[in-house]
Amino acid sequence: MERAPSAVAFASGPRLRRVLLLAPAVLFLLVFFVMPLLSDMARSVAPLQGGTKLTLHRYVAFLSDPFYLWVTAETLIVSSVVTVISILIGYPVAYLLVRKAGRWSGLIVFMLIAPLMTSIIMRTFGWQVLFARQGLVNEWLVQDLHILSARLRWFGSPGLAIAALVHVLVPFAVLSIASVLQGVDKRLEEGAMMLGASPLRTFWEVTLPLTFDGIGTGAILVFMIANGSFVTFVLLGGGFQTLPLMIYQQFNTTRDFDLASTMSTILLVIAVACLWLQLRLVRRKGT
Amino acid sequence: MKELTRRGFLGTGATAMGLWGLGARPLFAADKTLNVTAYGGVWEKAIRTCFVAPFEQKTGAKATVALGGPSQWLAQVEANPEHPPLDVLIMTPDLAVTAAQKGLMDDFTVEKLPNLKDIPKKFTDACLGKGTYFDYGVGGITYDKRKVKNPPKGFKEFVDRVSKGEFVASVPSISYAPAPIFFIWAMNHALGGTVENADPFFDAMKKMKSNLVFWAGPNDFFNDLASGEADLGIYFDGRTWNYVDQGVKWIDFINPEEGGAMTAVAVQKPVHASDLAWDYLNEMLAAQNQSKFADILNYGVTNTQVKYSTKLAPRVTPIDKTLMPPYADLAKVRNAWVDRWNREVGH
Repeated sequence: MERAPSAVAFASGPRLRRVLLLAPAVLFLLVFFVMPLLSDMARSVAPLQGGTKLTLHRYVAFLSDPFYLWVTAETLIVSSVVTVISILIGYPVAYLLVRKAGRWSGLIVFMLIAPLMTSIIMRTFGWQVLFARQGLVNEWLVQDLHILSARLRWFGSPGLAIAALVHVLVPFAVLSIASVLQGVDKRLEEGAMMLGASPLRTFWEVTLPLTFDGIGTGAILVFMIANGSFVTFVLLGGGFQTLPLMIYQQFNTTRDFDLASTMSTILLVIAVACLWLQLRLVRRKGT
Repeated sequence: MKELTRRGFLGTGATAMGLWGLGARPLFAADKTLNVTAYGGVWEKAIRTCFVAPFEQKTGAKATVALGGPSQWLAQVEANPEHPPLDVLIMTPDLAVTAAQKGLMDDFTVEKLPNLKDIPKKFTDACLGKGTYFDYGVGGITYDKRKVKNPPKGFKEFVDRVSKGEFVASVPSISYAPAPIFFIWAMNHALGGTVENADPFFDAMKKMKSNLVFWAGPNDFFNDLASGEADLGIYFDGRTWNYVDQGVKWIDFINPEEGGAMTAVAVQKPVHASDLAWDYLNEMLAAQNQSKFADILNYGVTNTQVKYSTKLAPRVTPIDKTLMPPYADLAKVRNAWVDRWNREVGH
């Protein structure tokens, strides 16, 4: 039986079909991602009270205030530190997972993912219990091992929040690196060693460069999640301020939505810059 | 594989839109459904038991309970004041003033709310006539009895002893919305400061800072004490008694000798909200319902006809033993205080 001409044209037009298949996702993103973002940006340049003209005043005020610049810098520094530590811990684990684990790889992947199955609040609270002034770690250091004479206060600095974030984010680094490492042809490493390179040199000059893409992807992923992290800093930051905390404060305490939008847009620009970096890394690999 | 046809696509789309439309209908509140608000946890339970149940019984209407916080609820009303998605708002006193000043809330009168006659007028005046307080707690000193044998009697002593390192104290972080009132204002007032001059408070914070931890939400405070991170701190009476009732026998509460800040909970009705809200609000202000509410939450209530139970009576700080913060004035300086905190305490 012949189909109606319109249906044939519709079904056979691959371009139209692609557009229609993409439409729900595009529509969803437009309504729930792009439009709120645009609204947020519009709010950040909205006229000041009593004014009628759009203004960049809030950006100028934010970017010329050493306090806000310092908060932004601290947010970036802490995220960078979390990223570097996560990659340093994650790479050997990924290497072990892909090259050495064999039949244990499933178990390792499970152990990596298992912590992600519990709520971040529970995990963060676990850190609180362990590192409290009267907590288990101080108990060991002071009473059991006699390494310290007085209990340490861990909550007054960002150190504990960094450790907790690394705990949460290392799996992202491992999985990103492992997926690329899996694609590295083992014969290249064997070839290098047959030509006299030591295992260390083989790793340094063959394996590592071939996994830069995985490192880059993992780093960007970890950095961006750390950059927007909220709960960990609220519970473990000890008064340490980051940009997401300041945004929350503008919504919750001062209700200065315009300033919150300005801060959100600045945080967004940082995230977009990170994505751009990632794209550059991927393209460089492709050339 | 079956190919996608225009008819199939349009049919599926129309069905999806129809289902979505049906699902969305309850959002545009039906005439006999009221959308009220509550904080989570035991609060929600108390709201449902003490106010929603009698309201539904008397009116035959239904009430849905939206969980969240005042800032979020007010933002929802501000976004759509002509058709507010919520009919009754639980508010902090300073936000109640803000909402009233913006003309978003309805006037409270005895004609609309007969039970308002039993609520002290000053509580309605504090909301500029567009709301009233129905429940209150006091911000004071909660301490771990096992570690603190001789607790500070007031804010001044608290500051002195924490500064000297005698205790580690858990105090509210600035991200906790009521902190500027029950902590900054109350301590500043006790130390001789005024709304215009918060130097005494910020000087005290500088002295205490190395012996402070900060709680972001009420449950964090208890975690700080339970985990041994802090010995005492600034907290609420009612929440302390809730823990005692749950079997935590090692905590106790002191109303500071300078007077703790009355931390009230206001209730308001958006201008274009359903008129059914008046029936619900009247239940919220009724003595028998408030009495039950107080018993569940361990907080004082504002209806003067309420007789507290023998368990609760010694726990509730009488209204005249609390300090009522000048909420309208505080609303003007709150953002400046938050900014100053960020710069001087936050780092």
